[in-house]
Amino acid sequence: MEYRDYYKILGVARAATADEVKKSYRRLARKFHPDVSKEKDAEARFKEVQEAYEVLKDPEKRAAYDQLGSNWKSGEQFRPPPNWADGFEFRGGPRGGAGRQGGSGPRGSGYGSEDVFEEDSYSDFFSSLFGGGGSGPFAQQAGTRRRAGRDHHAGIEIDLQEAFAGTTRTLELKRPQVKSDGKLEVEPHTVRVTIPAGVTEGQPIRLAGQGEPGPGGGRAGDLYLEVHIRPDKLFQLEGRDVTLTLPVAPWEAALGGPVKVPTLAGTVEMNIPAGAQSGQKLRLRGRGLPGQQPGDQYVQLKVVLPPANSPEAKAVYEEMRRTLAFDPRVDLER
Amino acid sequence: MTDGADLLQAHLLDERDWIGATEICRVCRIELTAVVELTDLGVVSPRGYAPEEWQFPATALPRLRTVGRLMRDLGVNASGAALALELLEEQHDLQRRLRRLERLIHE
Repeated sequence: MEYRDYYKILGVARAATADEVKKSYRRLARKFHPDVSKEKDAEARFKEVQEAYEVLKDPEKRAAYDQLGSNWKSGEQFRPPPNWADGFEFRGGPRGGAGRQGGSGPRGSGYGSEDVFEEDSYSDFFSSLFGGGGSGPFAQQAGTRRRAGRDHHAGIEIDLQEAFAGTTRTLELKRPQVKSDGKLEVEPHTVRVTIPAGVTEGQPIRLAGQGEPGPGGGRAGDLYLEVHIRPDKLFQLEGRDVTLTLPVAPWEAALGGPVKVPTLAGTVEMNIPAGAQSGQKLRLRGRGLPGQQPGDQYVQLKVVLPPANSPEAKAVYEEMRRTLAFDPRVDLER
Repeated sequence: MTDGADLLQAHLLDERDWIGATEICRVCRIELTAVVELTDLGVVSPRGYAPEEWQFPATALPRLRTVGRLMRDLGVNASGAALALELLEEQHDLQRRLRRLERLIHE
């Protein structure tokens, strides 16, 4: 695993005071927080910053980290020396066991990790030193007290078509397991999840009992997935409604008649009313995302002019000019 | 690849699902006192009388989780997080409308 220079990540000197560490964390957290940041690698940077602060804000963890020495460089191959943390009073995993539990959330697999992004994770470096994966000396000991396991959270990205029809995703969960020596160890566990049809942007999904197992035989936590739907090439999604821009020829708009329209369920035939205008919206009821109240599909017409690139086409336009006496700017006259 | 893996049925949480105060605090990692303050600020609208017995529509989960993250990670109070949430939502809405307009222009 690679060494992480937490002081460098937070941009503080090794002699920085707790107040300086806190100030630097606040500044960087504001800069890289995924909810507010515009930086392109905000999420990864924020996790780094948060992990560094997790160590440097805690005098015990900081002292243990400091005794590794100052000769290490970020990215250098690292293995913790034996008994490196002897003499420290171990108090549990990340955030004293009160916050997130690192290294035990879901990871994408099968469909590629870009589909599922883990919210709570610490680096292998952190986990090997301080637990959060269960193997370090700060790792939470198997609880003697019965309590409910923590919930886990992750985001999952799907296509609009998958939201419409439902889909299946494979997730690799990392579950802490109690070993015979009483310590927790993370074990991978693969599950397939069926995501029902009709899921909307940002909608939470609950997988009961797929969070952290409850220490001491307590109830397991739940796994919450938050769905994000990738932008679609054809349809724009708003709630359960979708909007499609449909190019039509001038005579189709003027004279009306049936046209073929793509929908999420396949192509349908729709009647355009005579005298339709560019920008006009027509509704296909119930053709949006399914649900108790299914969404609608809006079809926004866009009149496309044929090019006047041949003598025949030019003649048609000339004929229209002579015959129609049409002034599109009549409303501009005062 | 998926042979042998458990097949789990996900439960979509929507406006028909209601979540108790204890559970929402646990899931969003937020104190009940903060939830009370956020309710006063109009961020969420639970049903019920005593805060301990409040029930929240599951659709409130993403908002409360965002507020919880902002409070924990940035050290802001409930009012500050509620304001940030409102501005973030407005920003997302404007970005969505901008994307739609840009698409219309380019089509």
